Amino acid sequence: MSQKVYIAGVGIISAIGNNVGENLASLKDTKAGMQNMERLQSVHKDKLPVAEVSLSNEDLCSELKLPNHISRSALLSTVAAKEAISNSGINIHKWRTGFISATSVGGMDKTEDFFTEFMADHPNGDLKNVVNHECGAVTEITADHLGIRDFVTTVSTACSSSANSIFLAARLIRQGFLDVVVAGGTDSLTKFTLNGFNTLMILDSQYCQPFDENRRGLNLGEGAGYLVLVSEKVAEGMNQKPEIALSGWCNANDAHHQTASSPDGTGNFLAMKGALKKAGLKPADIDYINLHGTGTNNNDIAEGTAIKNLFEGNYPPVSSTKSFTGHTLGASGAIEAVYSVLAIREGLIFPNLRFETQMKEIPFAPVTELQHKTLKNVMSNSFGFGGNCSSLIFSKVIG
Amino acid sequence: MSPEDQLNITKSVIIRNNSIYVDGNIIYEYFKNDNFLNDSYESLDNNYPKFYKMDVLGKLGMLATHLLLKDSDIENHLPSDVGIVLSNSNSSLDADIRYFDSVKSFPSPALFVYTLPNIVTGEISIRYKLKGENAFFISQQFDADWLHFYISHLFQNNKINACIGGWIESINSDHDVCLFLTERKESKNGINFTAENLNNINSLGDDVSNILP
Repeated sequence: MSQKVYIAGVGIISAIGNNVGENLASLKDTKAGMQNMERLQSVHKDKLPVAEVSLSNEDLCSELKLPNHISRSALLSTVAAKEAISNSGINIHKWRTGFISATSVGGMDKTEDFFTEFMADHPNGDLKNVVNHECGAVTEITADHLGIRDFVTTVSTACSSSANSIFLAARLIRQGFLDVVVAGGTDSLTKFTLNGFNTLMILDSQYCQPFDENRRGLNLGEGAGYLVLVSEKVAEGMNQKPEIALSGWCNANDAHHQTASSPDGTGNFLAMKGALKKAGLKPADIDYINLHGTGTNNNDIAEGTAIKNLFEGNYPPVSSTKSFTGHTLGASGAIEAVYSVLAIREGLIFPNLRFETQMKEIPFAPVTELQHKTLKNVMSNSFGFGGNCSSLIFSKVIG
Repeated sequence: MSPEDQLNITKSVIIRNNSIYVDGNIIYEYFKNDNFLNDSYESLDNNYPKFYKMDVLGKLGMLATHLLLKDSDIENHLPSDVGIVLSNSNSSLDADIRYFDSVKSFPSPALFVYTLPNIVTGEISIRYKLKGENAFFISQQFDADWLHFYISHLFQNNKINACIGGWIESINSDHDVCLFLTERKESKNGINFTAENLNNINSLGDDVSNILP
């Protein structure tokens, strides 16, 4: 039997909090993070709400002692990854440690600053602002800051990116390549993503309503989330052995369209089914699904239909925490993985905010109020553009 | 590589200079007009409604792949065993410009979704249900050495058993396509998969006088 991969620590920064404690408090108090744009400069400023992290670049740089030309994506990443490591209590330098980080935006935020200056007057473009454009550069900044050298890589598969980085970590541990992996993802808000999603006409000008019959689209958010995944051997040596493991994962693709999911959620279905198989679980064993639940017409019908088909008769409680954080793109899989771990640890099912009307195509509705319940197995869905669909399952480990 | 692992170019398609060639033979000639892509696709007996909403790169990919895979036994391979390795020098610039023009009035979602070079790879994959390794490289010119190296590497590591490879370019209504199918099986034309042969195939139609009798 393959060895288990344990979750030894979590770290997070999002619009609803700068650390795990603040995020958990906001989830319990149903405090959402969307509001009018404050930091992001855009012509859509008063029209499209977003979920921004409250700390400015200056705040983040001074906290981390990093220079101020560093991409916000790298700053958010470093804050959350540091918290995850410190939360785990593991001395990462004692083990073969990897850092796997996902992002869809990379250093685009700084490139946009460069572009404006460069277009106005070419010699004015500050090249310091473009050297970290590439997604991997952002990962390297954080890895260097953390002192992780044994294995460093970047995953960029749109909105399933950081779910994929988490299970790549698990695979590397199970195959014996690494002992400890800090895995997750980061994305900062940029004009590029805002305008791109706006072109696709899937942004909500109000606060989003995932899984609602009258949903209008998504709100973009920003943030970062990381898990510290460890091998059985590392787990055994900890003061307190972790109680939660990543038990199942799967990635599938429905090869339907550049951006949209197939309406019947083929990829979503395959990802969830594959994750259950990997975990050796039946649909009835899942106690809660943290939905991808973006609030777009297309995602929610595809995801809802896939759940309807897979969980027929055993619909577990479901909710989309994007109703708190907005859609954090490359970070969302990891942020929601952190919430899934917290759900098991705290025995909580988080509410799906602003839900009003059940979707007519599916026979279940999301949870609308905080529920206290012992959870053993939690599924976390992340479905990306291009039909790139991933599901993770976190399980409480007995004994 | 053992003899049975010998890689061969089993088919090639060129679209350039007002002509479409399959295995070196002209099968379609056209006068430059806006309808060339639709006309030739229809004349080649095709029926894929999604073709009409594609950008030029996508349409060229559809057209060339249709000819490349016609009469092939590509369906005998597992979907995950067929790779796609493409290249060009202008990325999706043609679609980018068209999209950017639309932004001045209303940003077009239909144009926006084509503003990446590897969308054509996705369109080919969806149409022919291919799920193997894929890559899209940007290079100044048709880089036979690199394509040969990369595709050989995929075969040698048993990642694929067949590969659609080559060059697919469109800018300002100029088309330039050179696609080839690489397989482990014998080629009826007996063309080994080498960088030199790729260059030979790609030289076709560069200068029309070369290919006239």
